Amino acid sequence: MIEFQNVRKTYRLKGVTKTILHGLTAKFPKGKNVGILGHNGAGKSTLMRLIAGAELPDSGRIKRNVKVSWPLGFGGGFAGKMTGIENTRFVARMYGQDTERMVEFVEDFSELGPSMSLPIQTYSSGMKARLAFGVSMAIDFDCYLIDEITAVGDARFKQKCNEMFESKLKHSNIIMISHSEGTIKKFCDTACLLHEGRLKMYDSLAEGLAQHRKNQLK
Amino acid sequence: MEGVITTQARVIGALVLRETRTAFGDTQLGYLWAIVNPALSTLVLVMIFSAIGRSPAFGTSFALFFATGVLTFQTYSRLSGSLMTAINSSRGLLSYPLVHEADLLISKYILITLTYLMIIIVFFTLIIWWDNAALPVRPEECASAFLAVSLLGLGAGATNAVLLRLWPTWKQIDGIISRPLFFLSGIFYVPSDFPSHIVKILAWNPILHGVEWFREGYYGNYDSVVLSKPYLLTCAIILLLVGFYGERLYRKKSH
Repeated sequence: MIEFQNVRKTYRLKGVTKTILHGLTAKFPKGKNVGILGHNGAGKSTLMRLIAGAELPDSGRIKRNVKVSWPLGFGGGFAGKMTGIENTRFVARMYGQDTERMVEFVEDFSELGPSMSLPIQTYSSGMKARLAFGVSMAIDFDCYLIDEITAVGDARFKQKCNEMFESKLKHSNIIMISHSEGTIKKFCDTACLLHEGRLKMYDSLAEGLAQHRKNQLK
Repeated sequence: MEGVITTQARVIGALVLRETRTAFGDTQLGYLWAIVNPALSTLVLVMIFSAIGRSPAFGTSFALFFATGVLTFQTYSRLSGSLMTAINSSRGLLSYPLVHEADLLISKYILITLTYLMIIIVFFTLIIWWDNAALPVRPEECASAFLAVSLLGLGAGATNAVLLRLWPTWKQIDGIISRPLFFLSGIFYVPSDFPSHIVKILAWNPILHGVEWFREGYYGNYDSVVLSKPYLLTCAIILLLVGFYGERLYRKKSH
């Protein structure tokens, strides 16, 4: 379970202050798959980075007693000069995984073939995304944080990702950001809506989606 | 759950290995360049100065005298400069929740310090072999001086990183402040060559104390007129406190 206690987060850029969270107290319960809804720029990705612990709040506390992934669908931590294999080994070492087993898994899942031994600055964006997904799926987390999975790869690879998620969901949970209602409905059973610095939790997915649609029309 | 310290040690280890690949990953010799490059450029300096017939300010080998100064100085300046930008240049890595700003600093510190340790060992071996220079009289003193200078570099680098975050112009300012240090750190001379009122001013520079400490260890009869180990260590501790406390205050707040 992930618990927010009076968490406040703002951004200040060139004198403009933007509040992402006004003192949020909330629980993301264990056993629930949560979809995060909100406008573009509402701060969904920042919320996800706070959940991951990749960013600190201005004040308040975030407690996690489960093993949470980094926000997936993002390859920003990869080094362009390093090969696919070396980048995979780096993440494996960091998370204390067996490096060779993990490289094998990623080679198999990402279907990058010989490109795995090339520097990833030679990869296309689709290839990088495959590598990033392969790497994150190789580690067993209790909770996977997914930021816009729909942007990844071609139809066949998407299908493969979906199957992988479904098998992961048997033992783990996900918290996901998606602009696609279809994806949210497929994987999530509750929703939360980030709107003007407030986060509202909805037990019913349908209710959350309805409110989100209403907000977007305003 | 495993201990925080084991996790952090693992993360730092992974970062050190990663850095060896990213720095020179696309070249034939890989990380060996990190050792060869500064070693060769120092060798060129030594050859130029020896060719124009400069006699050493102390001892019989100019190469040895120059190396004791310049390598100690470079250990500091490399650390202070690279650590300043270590966080910005690896910002993407902070998306991994396990990676903290301090890990980026420490992993880079470990790698640069080990690299310079290798450079120093290789370099002095060559000088002893070619120039018939003497062996270090008290190698343990040389090692302590090197460690103290590296900690000074870590403190200065961490402080620089904080200042750069608060004030992006700091990189330019630091360049202006650091450049004269090359001439103020006793690389070409011994402080006792100067009148005492100038020595008093030079003595404010903690790097000079590091160089003097290293030379006392190497030569045995060097008898520095300025060396104060407590002064160097105090400077290092203050910079470390400022740097790492500042890092705690300002971590992950500006993007």
